[in-house]
Amino acid sequence: MKALGIAATGMLAQQTNVDVISNNIANANTTGFKSSRAAFQDLIYETVRREGSLTSEAGTARPTGVDIGFGVETAGTVRLNTQGGLMATENQLDLAIDGRGFFAVNLPDGGQAYTRDGAFQLSSEGQLVTMQGYELDPGIVVPDNTTQVEISEQGVVMAYVGGDPTPVELGRITMSTFTNEAGMRQLGSNLLEATTASGDAVPANPGDEGIGILRQGYLENSNVNIIQQITDLISAQRAYEMNSKSLETADQMMTAANQIK
Amino acid sequence: MDNSTYVSLSLATAMHNALDVTANNIANANTAGFKGERVVFDSYLHRETGVDESRNTEFLIDQGSYMNPEQGAMSRTGNPLDLALQGDSWFGYETSDGRTAYGRDGRFALDPNGALVTLSGAKVLDAGGAPISLPPDLGGEVSISQDGTISTLTGGVIGRVGLFDLPDLQSYERIGSGMFVPPEGVDTARPATSGTRVVQGMIESSNVQPVVEMTRLMAIQQAYERALKLVGGEDDLTRDMLRRIGSVT
Repeated sequence: MKALGIAATGMLAQQTNVDVISNNIANANTTGFKSSRAAFQDLIYETVRREGSLTSEAGTARPTGVDIGFGVETAGTVRLNTQGGLMATENQLDLAIDGRGFFAVNLPDGGQAYTRDGAFQLSSEGQLVTMQGYELDPGIVVPDNTTQVEISEQGVVMAYVGGDPTPVELGRITMSTFTNEAGMRQLGSNLLEATTASGDAVPANPGDEGIGILRQGYLENSNVNIIQQITDLISAQRAYEMNSKSLETADQMMTAANQIK
Repeated sequence: MDNSTYVSLSLATAMHNALDVTANNIANANTAGFKGERVVFDSYLHRETGVDESRNTEFLIDQGSYMNPEQGAMSRTGNPLDLALQGDSWFGYETSDGRTAYGRDGRFALDPNGALVTLSGAKVLDAGGAPISLPPDLGGEVSISQDGTISTLTGGVIGRVGLFDLPDLQSYERIGSGMFVPPEGVDTARPATSGTRVVQGMIESSNVQPVVEMTRLMAIQQAYERALKLVGGEDDLTRDMLRRIGSVT
C-alpha cells in the first residue's frame, strides 16, 4: 500500500507551504521584501498497466493504462518580483527603486550581494552603508560637514558642504540587473546573491530604458499581499487535513486486513 | 481453496490501487496544472470447463485509469511569467532528455540564457515546436496576450507560446512534473484550433475536488472492509465445516 507514503509527501508539501506563507506574513513590513510562493509538482508515476500494450493477437491495444503516482514534491519557491509600494520617510538617505534593478553591496568577506532595501546610513568614515554596515558599491563618501544630500532619479549624488551654496557631486549610484531575477538566492538581511540560475549581474544606470529610477526620501515596502497569504494559509491547512485523512484511511484498511483472522 | 475468497481478494487488491490513486490526487490538491486520475474497474470472467455456464466466476480487475481533463480553477499570482490556459489546449515542453511532453502547468521562469522554462527545467515550445527565448535584458518583464503572443512592454513581438490539441489524450503517459509524453512514436498533437485563451499572471489550480476525493476515500474503505469480511466469513465457514466433519469421526 503506497497510500501511506503518498499522503506523507502531501503533508510534507503543505508544511513547506505553511512555512513559506508564514515567512511572507512575518516579512509583510520588511523593506524591499519580495513574497515567495511554494510551487508543487507531481512525482513520477508507476505504470501498472501500460497504455498502448496489446490486448489481443489481432492488434487491439489498451487505450489507457493504470498510472499510479507517488505523490507530490516541492519544485521550488518562486519569488514574485513585482514592485512594492513606496513609503515616504523624509529621510534624505532613504532610497526606493521604482522599477527594475538592485543596489550592489560589498560583503565583509569580499563577496557581492544585491538588495532592494535602500535604507542607507553613514558609517564613521562617511561611507554610504546598509543597515548591517555593508558598503554600497560603487562607494559614496559624504564629507564631514555636509548639510544636505540630494540624490537625483538617475542616481547622481550631490552634497551641500559647509555654507557653500553650490553643491559638489559625490558620485553616481549604479544598479545591477539580472536575466532571471527569480533565480537569485536569498541571504537574509534583505540581501540576495547571484547564482548560475540568475546569470551574472548586468550593470545599469538608474533611469536607463527598462531600468528603475531612484526616489530619495522613500522606501520600498514589501510586496506581500496579506489577504492572498491568509487565503493560501487556509487552503494549505485544509489540504494538510485532507492528506491526513488519506493516511488515516490507509491505516484503517491495514488494520482491517490484520483482523481477518 | 474456494473461489469466493479469491473473488473477494480481487476486490481488495483493486481497492488498494484505487486508494493509492486517490491519495495521489489528494497529495496534489495544491499542485498547479494537476489533473486528477480515476481508476476504472472491469470484470474478468473465468469460465468453468465442463460444467454448466451458471457456475462461471467473475473477478474484478482495475482495467485502466483515466485522467480527468476538466478545467481547474484560476488563481492569481501576479507573476508575469505565470500562464493559465482556459480551454482544452495544452502547452508543449522539451524535457531535459530531449523528449517532447505536454502539460497544463504554466508556471514558467527564465534560465540564465533567457530561455523560457518550467520549474523542473523543461523548455517551453512555440507553435512550431522550437524552444522560446526572451531577450536577456528584459528580465521577464513581458506582456503575453490571450493567443499566447509574447511582446515587450513597448509592443515589439518576441514570439508566441505554442498551444497544442491532443486528440487521444488518454493514451499519453504521465511522467510527473505535470508532464505527459505521447505513447511511443505516435505524437498526435497538432497546433491548437480550439480557441483556448492564455491568461497572464494566473495559474490553473489543480482540478482535484476535495469533496469528491473524500467521498471516494470512504467508498474505497468500505468496499475494502466488505471484501475482507467476505474472506473472513468464508474462513469461518471452512473452519465450521472442518469442526463438524471432525466431530463425526
